[in-house]
Amino acid sequence: MSQSILQLENVESGYGEVQVLWGVSLSVHAHYLTTVVGANGAGKTTTLRAAIGSNKVWAGRVVFEDDDVTALSAHDKARRGLVLVPEGRQLFADMSVEENLEMGAFSPRARTHYRKNLERVFGFFPRLAERRQQKAGTFSGGEQQMLAVGRGLMADPKVLIIDELSLGLSPLLTQQLFATLRELKQAGLTILLVEQNVHLALALSDYAYVLTEGRVGIEGPAHEVAQNPDVRKAYLGM
Amino acid sequence: MYDLVASLASGVLVGAIYGLAAIGLSLIFGVMKVINLTHGAMIALGMFALYFFVSVLGFNPYVSLLPIVAGGFVVGVMVYWIAVNRVIGSSDLMSLLATFAMNMIIIGVGTALWTTSPYNVDFSLPGISWHGYTIPGTQIVAAALAIVIAGLLYVFLYHTRTGKAVRAVASNRQAAELMGIPTRRILAIAFGLGIAVAGAAGALIATLFPFTILSGGSYELKSFVVTVLGGLGNPAGALAGGILLGLIEGGVAPFVDVSWTPVIEFSLFVLILIAFPAGLFRIGKNH
Repeated sequence: MSQSILQLENVESGYGEVQVLWGVSLSVHAHYLTTVVGANGAGKTTTLRAAIGSNKVWAGRVVFEDDDVTALSAHDKARRGLVLVPEGRQLFADMSVEENLEMGAFSPRARTHYRKNLERVFGFFPRLAERRQQKAGTFSGGEQQMLAVGRGLMADPKVLIIDELSLGLSPLLTQQLFATLRELKQAGLTILLVEQNVHLALALSDYAYVLTEGRVGIEGPAHEVAQNPDVRKAYLGM
Repeated sequence: MYDLVASLASGVLVGAIYGLAAIGLSLIFGVMKVINLTHGAMIALGMFALYFFVSVLGFNPYVSLLPIVAGGFVVGVMVYWIAVNRVIGSSDLMSLLATFAMNMIIIGVGTALWTTSPYNVDFSLPGISWHGYTIPGTQIVAAALAIVIAGLLYVFLYHTRTGKAVRAVASNRQAAELMGIPTRRILAIAFGLGIAVAGAAGALIATLFPFTILSGGSYELKSFVVTVLGGLGNPAGALAGGILLGLIEGGVAPFVDVSWTPVIEFSLFVLILIAFPAGLFRIGKNH
């Protein structure tokens, strides 16, 4: 059994007056791929945003590597290695591929591994190497997602958190990106994934949480969750 | 004919300084979507800073630019943390009011200290004479320095880590934060740079013309015209826009009374806003 590296403990959060999370607890084990699935509006993205500090945590705690990081800003958490690849890519559109990757490696910790990480990213996504001077905003959706993941990897994450990896991508590109994810996992990276393609996500994951209306409904090893009759009915269309 | 050419040449030179001033405004707007209404006051402070270094301390005016730029940066960072930081992310009106308030404070203190009678920095350089017209050497050096400062800013923004972080924050502040970039600190740096550039422009203007604490106001308005010509948030466009504005001023100067110049300038401003809402130099930009 590996060690838990990131824990959310009874986290409550939301937007303005609207509470979305009603006490979410989850734990991410080192070198695991952990998936959060759930319907639209169940609070998946909010869970990730609360974890990395983009959303304020109203109640509860976020613990990363045994430190309480609840109150830290998003950039401080990123510097510690808690890195989010946000939904909708959120690239620096006016900047080149290379500059986007360089900004990914902004933190002092990531900078020391810049060369190594850059080679790794170009190894995963040769297309980025070919177009390193091109502006990110001119890329297709699939290339942008590659760059978003690449930029996240440049931050030298201890936990890579990905929000909707396959959203808006063709099945072929989705397969490609999931293959990359598998390689990253095999290389020992800890990943926390929110993914609308529940079938693919559960097939690749070690552990899964099912969010329902801002609470964790079902959790367990991914293959067990995939067999759960409620999950099969609601998310897998069986 | 000769008078027009001389007037145009002088217009281009002064226009480069308008461009530099506008870069200060444009940089701040581009990075944090704040229209900095302290801009004119900061230009005026740059003018008085030059007076202090040259006429009181006896420095060379161009050497004085170094402490003026450094001091402008410090003042800008302070203004950011005092007045701007807490209104970032709230409505546009809040940052307008915050910077307007700072502007009134600076103008008020400046008026109390220095009154509103004109000051003059006594300094000249041999110029270039041509068919009875003389382009003052101070104009040539000031324009060259304006372009050098703009160039240095460009090098900073495109070839240094911190500069690239400024552009990243301008492009997508939230994503920058996710990548470990301390975005508030970067905003403070960008504001400091914008003020430093405005102060440098003020100092260069003060080597050419007499000034009062209120003089910054007309350069602030010119900066708005220039940024609209060049496209808000586009520093290279701002420099080109400044030179264009200088050309227009130089072009009309031999034919009309000087009081008509702002009428023509601002009529043009309105026309360009109608015809090219994104600015003249936005065309062909990848978006």
